[in-house]
Order: sequence, then structure tokens, then C-alpha cells
Amino acid sequence: MSEKEKIRLSGRIDSNNAPQLETDLLATLAGKNSTAIEFDAKDLEYISSAGLRVLLRIRKTYPDISIVNVSQEVYDIFDMTGFTEMMDVQRAYREVSIEGCEEIGRGANGRIYRIDQDNVVKVYKNPDALEDIKHEREVAKLALILGLPTAISYDVVKVGDSYGSVFELLNARSFSQILASEPEKMDWCVDEFVKLLRKVHDTEVPEGKLPDMKETAISWVQFLQDYLPNREWMKLMDLVQAVPKDNHMIHGDYHTKNVVLQGDEVLIIDMDTLAVGNPVFELASMFNAFIGFSEYDHVHVLHFMGFDYETSTEFWHRVLKAYLNTTCEAKVREVEDKARIIGYTRLIRRHIRRGGLETPEGKAEISFWKQKLISLIDNTDNLTFSLDEFETDASTERLADVQQFISEKLERADCPMKVCMQIEVAVEEIFVNIASYAYAPLSGKAKVRVELSDNPSSVSITFIDHGVPYNPLAKVDPDVHAEASDRPIGGLGIYMTKKMMDDVTYEYKDGENILTLKKNL
Amino acid sequence: MKIDLHMHSLVSDGTDSPAELLAKVREAGIGIFSLTDHDAIKGCMAIIGLLQEGDPAFIPGAEFSCRDELGKYHILGYGYNVRTGAMPGFIESSHNLRMQKLEARLDYMESELGISFPVQAREELFSLDNPGKPHIAKLMVRYGFAQSKEQAFYEILNHLPVLTSYIRPEQAIEAIIAGGGVPVLAHPSYGDGDQLLMGEEMEQRIRRLMGFGLRGLEAFYSGFTPQLRDEILGYADRYDLYVTAGSDYHGRNKMIVLGDTGLDETETRTERLESFLKDVMHEG
Repeated sequence: MSEKEKIRLSGRIDSNNAPQLETDLLATLAGKNSTAIEFDAKDLEYISSAGLRVLLRIRKTYPDISIVNVSQEVYDIFDMTGFTEMMDVQRAYREVSIEGCEEIGRGANGRIYRIDQDNVVKVYKNPDALEDIKHEREVAKLALILGLPTAISYDVVKVGDSYGSVFELLNARSFSQILASEPEKMDWCVDEFVKLLRKVHDTEVPEGKLPDMKETAISWVQFLQDYLPNREWMKLMDLVQAVPKDNHMIHGDYHTKNVVLQGDEVLIIDMDTLAVGNPVFELASMFNAFIGFSEYDHVHVLHFMGFDYETSTEFWHRVLKAYLNTTCEAKVREVEDKARIIGYTRLIRRHIRRGGLETPEGKAEISFWKQKLISLIDNTDNLTFSLDEFETDASTERLADVQQFISEKLERADCPMKVCMQIEVAVEEIFVNIASYAYAPLSGKAKVRVELSDNPSSVSITFIDHGVPYNPLAKVDPDVHAEASDRPIGGLGIYMTKKMMDDVTYEYKDGENILTLKKNL
Repeated sequence: MKIDLHMHSLVSDGTDSPAELLAKVREAGIGIFSLTDHDAIKGCMAIIGLLQEGDPAFIPGAEFSCRDELGKYHILGYGYNVRTGAMPGFIESSHNLRMQKLEARLDYMESELGISFPVQAREELFSLDNPGKPHIAKLMVRYGFAQSKEQAFYEILNHLPVLTSYIRPEQAIEAIIAGGGVPVLAHPSYGDGDQLLMGEEMEQRIRRLMGFGLRGLEAFYSGFTPQLRDEILGYADRYDLYVTAGSDYHGRNKMIVLGDTGLDETETRTERLESFLKDVMHEG
């Protein structure tokens, strides 16, 4: 086994003692299997060129050399002579106290405090956080390069026994602070919060630069194996596994303490959770921050965000609507339910890992989430969503939601009133058909997709269900000239639909009935 | 081809005899080498006597520790005439100067500080080819005047009055040229011991020594980072100087690997080294 040999350097190293140092080092290292050496330069006051040469010589035998806790003076020597490019030389860390400092942010890995008017420090929970800090710095740089407004730390400091990274954040206020003290700015906050969220989600990340959130989510699901009924657990795993790969960025901890206003610029901070993946994973962590975490005990959100549960609920709801670009409540619920599945999964795991099952209140809280999770799993077929699609129960009770979702899209497309009414009639015919027959006597889901295209301007509405294969177009058109009493019941609706639309097509593919209505505008 | 133009034998402060060194040079597959003992020519004479058909090419060398009002310098001399001319005499006087200094130091220590060593130990010291402060420090520890060599340096040796006689860089450079050799500044970034020179300071030093006749810079050196090496190569280009490559191998005294000069096969900036070799090997 090879391991890292730690050696302290102290005082002055110059031509008087450099030869002795070399002899001592060789004696220390002789007979050990160390392949790497870490020099602790905490007490090193000075190193002359004679000392530098000894380090270079040691490096010939032990290529993996690092020097830590280097004072600024000594670091300058290493830097000037090119040593910092040849070996890992780390400066000693300035000590910073956070006593009496305001906490302005909190994330999965640490807390952020304002240390003076211009600077904040993020203090990491993990006492051995240097790797984390390096990671965060790298991902923040990546985010900046990819065009996202963020702050990059310029110094690493010691805060008590932990490490912190220092950022310049001038007079910045978090959205939590703004919402807590100026509730009238809710509209503005929603707009800016969503604008930045979209920007994150529109950012493509080069392969391999960031972890895949789906893999993280799978590990959460794995944790729940012993805590969920097997059927639900397996379905949950299938649901997460089926989420398609996505190379767009997600922040991973996007809430109002991590979005700040600096001057007139909105910045996103706390970048250590940056990942790639489907936006549903982001919405899940947002749901937790605003709702899930405090759903059982509403006081949590006040402690965490600084505003009450009602404000939090309203903000979340409006953000989701704005993000999905819809006023259709049913559409918002569809997406929220998918996010909740991941959200509860994570919350339950988090609480169990923190000993939640050891106290009665903890147990109650976990069981509260578990019940919600189980019922959501039973009622969900997939975790993805699209702004152009609406997925709902194939039930006549949902017809109004479907109509609302479609009419909103048509209104935005300036669709003439007459055409809207024709489409409404056709949609009712098709959706009621699916609701009545596709899954009878059981129940299932139906998906409606609205696509608008220009040139020629037209709208397509596609209905998809997993029910029994059925082609309504295969029916012979009824004889509309026959006396009403002579006509068979049914079939007229499909006939009217075909008449009013410019094209109606049907196919059965991969277990799905796919019926598309097309209308020129 | 592997080249190492800077190494020491036990004639100065290395630990290999010239014969052992030659064997190691052969084994290391070095094609051209030079022995550069401090103020000494004996090792080179020995090597010349040992060389056989098919051995690596040898360039006689020497290293002089010089100083003047502006600093300390190590000057290398290459390809000089080892038997006649200016060099043998200059090397002898350098050696004598070293011995005089040693004597002066020991006398001062004895009369002013009450530090004296047995006659036998003193004689041992003078029998060395190249005795200096480290050797005195060793004796001080052996006879209980200091607990460590470091302490000997810090408390005594570094505070002894500085002797006013020393070799000035122009003396060494002039002697090397007069002896038919080529003077080169050793490890230019590291003047002597603790000095670290870069940038303007470095450039001024080079220009001043060129005024005395300096003709080359040891740009490839085991103790250089790529950054230091590149800086020196830049000066060689700017002032049209030769470039040399040396490890400064000292045997067991230092962890330097023979032949390690920082010059590898992929290096393309070798034109000035090649013209140096052409110069010293034809004339030497």
C-alpha cells in the first residue's frame, strides 16, 4: 500500500541547512512506500534557492508532491519561480470569524454569511471541504463561461475548524429578503426568478462536465427500497429510470435564498449542486424548498426563508405557472405532481438518514410524506412534461381542464372565434370517446398535445392514450340524409369532427392510440 | 544523445572517484560529458587517463565560486588546455586561496572564540581537495562545539569575518579564455547558495559578465523549473550566447540523478547547445 507521507517544514530553509534537510528527508522516506508527499509549510518562514533545489530533487523521486499551508511570502517565491505550475502549492488560509454575521443563504453543503459590506463567506459543513470548494469553483466558472450570472469565489479561508470560500457580493439582497420585507414585489420576483431559471435550463453543458441528476435521483430511490411497498418502489424506480437523458443544466438547489439582487443584476449563487438533467428534478427540489419541507410543520419555511407558508405557497404556485407559461391549473397540477414524486422521495431519505425514524414526530412526518408519495406513484405514468402537452386522467370530469389547456394556446395564437368553437366541439368528441372507452371498465391517462405551425398557419391537436386499440375513423360515415329515426345511434360525432377539421389521422404505435386533428388557421 | 556537462567527483564535493564517475557516465548512456570540480583539475586529468576507445566524448571542465561587490557567481570553464597555458596555474591559485581562507577561519575561531580541534583533525581537513565551511561544521559537531551542523552555521560560521580575498568573476572568465576555454555562467537563476535571480536583475548580471567575456549560459539544469529554463533560453537568444546542459551531480551528497539536465529528446531549442559543443570539442 502506498500512502501520502506528511512532512512539516519549518523556520528558514537556506544553503546552511538545505543539505541537512535533504539528508533528513531521504532518511525519513527511506523504507517507506510513500509515493506522495505532502509538505506542511505552516511554520516555514523562508525558502532560498538552495531549498527550492532540494524540493525539485525530491520531486524527481516522488513526483506527487504537494505543499500546503504556504504563507503569502513563500507562495510568492514558488509562484515566481514556476513551482506552482510544477507541483500542487496551496496557500495558507486566512482566518475569518463569522461571529455576529448575518446568515444570508443556506444550501445542502453549507451556509453563507455576510462578513462585511462587500463580501460574503460560504462556510462548508464538511470539515474536509477543500475538494468541495474546488468543485464549486470549477462549476461556477463553467456556469459563468456558459453565460449564467453568478459569483465566483476569490479566496479560501478558514472559519473555525471548517473551510469557507469568499465571494464579492456588493449590497446584494436575496429574493427571500425581498419577499419577506417587500411583499408588493412578488410579481417582479416571480418574473425574474423564472427568467433566470429558464436561462439555467436552456444552458447546454458539454458532456461529462457536470454530474447527471438522474443518477443521483436513482440513488435516492434505491435508499427507499426498504421503506416503500415493493410494488410502488418498483414503479418509482421505473419512473425515474424512464426519464430521458438531458444535457441541460439544472441548479439543484434553486430557491429564493440562492437568487440575489446585486445592483440591478439578478445573480444565482451556491453553485455546488450544479448538474445536468430533466427540469423535473429541479422542480422537485424547488417544491421541497417552498412546500415539501414545511408541508407537515409550516413553521419550517419561516425559519428557513424568512417568509410564511402562505407566501411560500403562493410564490411557488405563481413561479410554476409562469415557468410552464400557462394559467391552466390542471396543467400546473400535472407537473407539480411529478415534481412531488421526486421531492418526497428525497425528503423521506433525508429524514431517515437524519434519524427521523427514531422520534415519534419524525415518524409522523415521514409517514405523512410516504402516504402522499404512494398515492402519487399509483397515479402517475411518467415523470416528464412538456409545455405543449397536458396529461390527465382519461375521465369526462377532466374535459374542462383539457379545453382550458387547449383554448389558452389557441388564444395566444390569435385563433378566430369560429375555429376555436369548431375545435372545441371536436376535442369534446374525441376526449369523451377516450374517457368512455379506452380503459373501460378501468381508468388510465390521456395526453393532449397542441402544436402550432406557420406557413400555412395551422394547429394540430394530438390525443394519445394507452387503452385498447381503436380507430374511430374506421367507422363508415353515417347516412346523414336518412331520417333521424332510421339512423343508428353514435358515429355522428366523428363524422362532424371530420367535416370541421381539415385533416384527421389515426395510428396505433408502440401500444398507443394516436389521433391527430389538424385545422388550418 | 544524452549530454551532461556539470558534475562533481570526490576531488571536490562529490562522492564518486573519477573512475567511478566514468563508469556511471558510461552506464547512463551519456554521449558527451564534462567533469566540473570546484577549483580543481585533478579529476579531469584522471578521466583523460582512463578514457578508452568508444567512450563518451569528454570535455575538460571546472567550476569557480566567484564574488564581487555585486554578488556571487558560479563560473564554469570548458574545453581549456589542461596541461599548459593559463588554466592549471589559475586553478592552483584558486585552490590555494581556498586553503588560505580555511586557515584564516580556523585561526580566528581558535584565537577569538576558543574553538580548536586536535591536530590530526586539522590535518585531515587540509588533506581534503576542497575543504570549506561544511567540513568545519562537521568537526564542530564531532568535538561538541555545536549540537548540529545547522547550529554551527547559524551561531558561528556565518558570523566569522568575511575574508577580503576571493576570486572575482572577471578573473575566472579571463583565465578560462586565456587557457583556451569557454566561460559559461552556471545555473544562472541561482547565483550562489541562496541567491535567486530573475528578470531585470538577471539580465543586468548577464550583460555585466558578458563585458568580461562570458560566452554561455547553463539553461538546462536539473534544478530549474520550465519557467526558469525558458527565461535563460530567452536571454541566450537575446544576447547570442551559447547554451549548456548540466545536472550538477554530486554523487551521494545530493539527490541529483546523473544526466538529469532538464533537456529531453523532444526539446527543439538546441541550436545554441550544438554550436557550443562544436566550439569546445574542436578547439579543446
